[in-house]
Amino acid sequence: MSLELPTTVPLQAYLALAAILFCTGVWGLINSRNAVRVLMSIELMLNAVNINLMAFSSYLDGQLIRGQVFAIFVITVAAAEAAVGLAILLSLYRNRETVDMERFNLLRW
Amino acid sequence: MTIASSTQFLCFAALSAAVAIGALGVVLLPNIVYSAFLLGGVFLSVAGLYLLLNASFVAAAQVLVYVGAVNVLILFAIMLVNKKEAMAEIPGLALRRVLSGAVCAGLFVLLLRVAFITPWATPGPEPIGDEATIRIGEHLFSDYLLPFELASVLLLMAMIGAIVLARRDVLSADIVTGEPADQGLIEKSRTPLLLETPAPASPAMPTPVLEKR
Amino acid sequence: MTLAAAADPSTAVTAITSLQLNAGAIAPEAAVLIAMVACLLVDLAGEKAASRWVPPLCYGGLGGALVLLALQWNASPLEPAFLGSFLADNLAVAFRAVVAASTLLSLLISWRYVEQSGTPVGEYAAILLAATLGAMFLCGSTDLVSIFVSLETLSVASYLLSGYMKRDARSSEAALKYLLVGSAAAAVFLYGASLLYGLTGGATSLEAVGLALQTSTTPVAALALVFVLATVAFKIAAVPFHQWTPDVYEGSPTPVVAFLSVGSKAAGFALALRILVGCFEGFETQWKLLFTVLAILSMVLGNVVALAQTSMKRMLAYSSIGQAGFVMIGLVCGTEDGYAAMVLYMAAYLFMNLGAFACIILFSLRTGSDRISDYAGLYQKDPLITLGLSLCLLSLGGIPPMLGFFGKIYLFFAGWADHQYLLVVVGLVTSVVSIYYYISVIKMMVVKEPQEASDVVKAYPTPSWNIAGLQPLRTALITCVVVTAVGGILSNPLFNWASSAVAGTPMLQRVLASSAALPIG
Repeated sequence: MSLELPTTVPLQAYLALAAILFCTGVWGLINSRNAVRVLMSIELMLNAVNINLMAFSSYLDGQLIRGQVFAIFVITVAAAEAAVGLAILLSLYRNRETVDMERFNLLRW
Repeated sequence: MTIASSTQFLCFAALSAAVAIGALGVVLLPNIVYSAFLLGGVFLSVAGLYLLLNASFVAAAQVLVYVGAVNVLILFAIMLVNKKEAMAEIPGLALRRVLSGAVCAGLFVLLLRVAFITPWATPGPEPIGDEATIRIGEHLFSDYLLPFELASVLLLMAMIGAIVLARRDVLSADIVTGEPADQGLIEKSRTPLLLETPAPASPAMPTPVLEKR
Repeated sequence: MTLAAAADPSTAVTAITSLQLNAGAIAPEAAVLIAMVACLLVDLAGEKAASRWVPPLCYGGLGGALVLLALQWNASPLEPAFLGSFLADNLAVAFRAVVAASTLLSLLISWRYVEQSGTPVGEYAAILLAATLGAMFLCGSTDLVSIFVSLETLSVASYLLSGYMKRDARSSEAALKYLLVGSAAAAVFLYGASLLYGLTGGATSLEAVGLALQTSTTPVAALALVFVLATVAFKIAAVPFHQWTPDVYEGSPTPVVAFLSVGSKAAGFALALRILVGCFEGFETQWKLLFTVLAILSMVLGNVVALAQTSMKRMLAYSSIGQAGFVMIGLVCGTEDGYAAMVLYMAAYLFMNLGAFACIILFSLRTGSDRISDYAGLYQKDPLITLGLSLCLLSLGGIPPMLGFFGKIYLFFAGWADHQYLLVVVGLVTSVVSIYYYISVIKMMVVKEPQEASDVVKAYPTPSWNIAGLQPLRTALITCVVVTAVGGILSNPLFNWASSAVAGTPMLQRVLASSAALPIG
């Protein structure tokens, strides 16, 4: 049943989708002016990585599925990172009253 | 879980279209609330892809953690910092967007090329399907025990740190000398240089917003 | 958190060893972990109790970790722990010792700073210990998943620490910038790691990755190399991945900067050795070329831009970029001497950099300033800071007979022996540049007449040490300065230590043997 899987959707299709998602995330990371959106772009990049890992896990490592375990770790860490990111954002917002990346210029880039 | 191959292909096409379009929406839509909801859509579609890949446990984790926690957290953040802000125009912004778009397109072509010309070792062993959850449990308690334990430290530390940074404070005094403190850097900003108040008495700034120029 | 107790070998050591996990390999980390949990528990009793009990707990944990690390030195037989996730070879032990010592010294210089700013002490120590834990695991991880999780533990803790002065916009801003750049770097690393996972056909251990890379010359390996290298370069703040460094260093609490500039960087170099040297052997020429470029850019840009800085913290930030460039010479050489010089220089850098940070923290505690011009005429008011800072800066600049001189000469010697003439010449020239700006700070402190002293120095309080938290600072300052000054003369044991760190690392020995066999065969 699950043997049919590789014959229908090739591995490369998943990799291409991950590449699209990753590049979209990179573009958002560079261009977003709202700090929350930058965090969202990072989540997109992490999801791209997860798609890669899951696809490899299913197509190349079907028995040991290490990729699935890796993906679970990525999800865990991403959640921690998001929580920390939003806490930092909140404390910055209290100090500066803005989330505009272009105005975070107390420290010169 | 038997899905006829054509159905599967259709599902993949629909889900990946949702992922790609949703992701573009996340980075392009001017209203950030729409972006956040689209991000939830992307997460859900990715969970659907995991189901197609026979990974029900990770799909559930994706829905619970990403949609249930991360996305909700982001929505809360938007709610808390959602002040109408007139973002000042920046000269050359359009050019910057186009240039970075070109760079990302180049990166995409590179990644795509690598994905297609690499001889991946397909087909691998037959997927174990529904027993994946058991296998994941075995991994977490054998060869991935160390990262598993370390992840618990990471989560504990992230939790404590996030609370410390985000809460409004009860304590803002030097615990040893009892003098008032401002929870700021000891090195004060340049402009109000502290001449009249000799240290170690750290002077309480009237406002925490310190402008350099 | 379900099994946090199981990672602690003192309680569950019998159960774990029966599975042949070799959990003893992480005993030093367990000591740090126990100290961290104890700090959190003590903190529940209130701030007063925390400020009293947290410091001794941290000293106990980190001191215990250092002792346990010393016991692991030259362990034989060397067996991988946790079914191949961790390896306590001499390289890992050496770098973990550098990390633990840097945390210990940073904590010693932190207490007064944290208390004076009115932020909670217990959580500060716990987060710093968690960062240490991440960095120590990173030094010994031999598996992509372990590397990723420990890297993120270190990074997330560092973001939290740099934003710890939460009422200060500069601190929050530094934390946000660090978080965004750091998470992006982590995502890039993960993309590279996922490609490596695909390339091996489903294995995550570095050994398997190295094997798969030996047989493949496909572009995917090159792409993964670039992705992984970018992350390593971010962690060690090599130009052009350095943009975050000056901002984060200027905006973060100074003791945190002290940790980031030594502990975090040491972990980054350990990661570089393990991944680049251990796995990407087949791409040696490529990554060495890239690292040569990075090293030259770092040395030139770091040292030249440091000339123009007016803030002490920012100057040390740029100088640390330059110093990372010097260490990279050892990495590029790829000879036994090169690796040993890296280890030696990191150890030397630990003492001289933390000594300098101890001095500038003491100065800012007393004056609230870190402008270089405010140091004018300091020697009349505070000879200890003047002497300590002068010695540490001279050592950083590489003036004999300080510790830094011997570290640097060893690096240059290793580079010259490996025919890296360009790197060595650039290193020598930029060293001279760095001596210029280090000396100008010393000149500012020493040469000025009393009437030329800055207003801050004129209003300088009489040095007193009776406030709690200043004694540890003084201890750390004097230790660092003494080691920096005397270590140069007595550096022979350090040389031996660094050489045996390389000799006791099977991974490096294998690479050295194979590269020695190449020209003959």
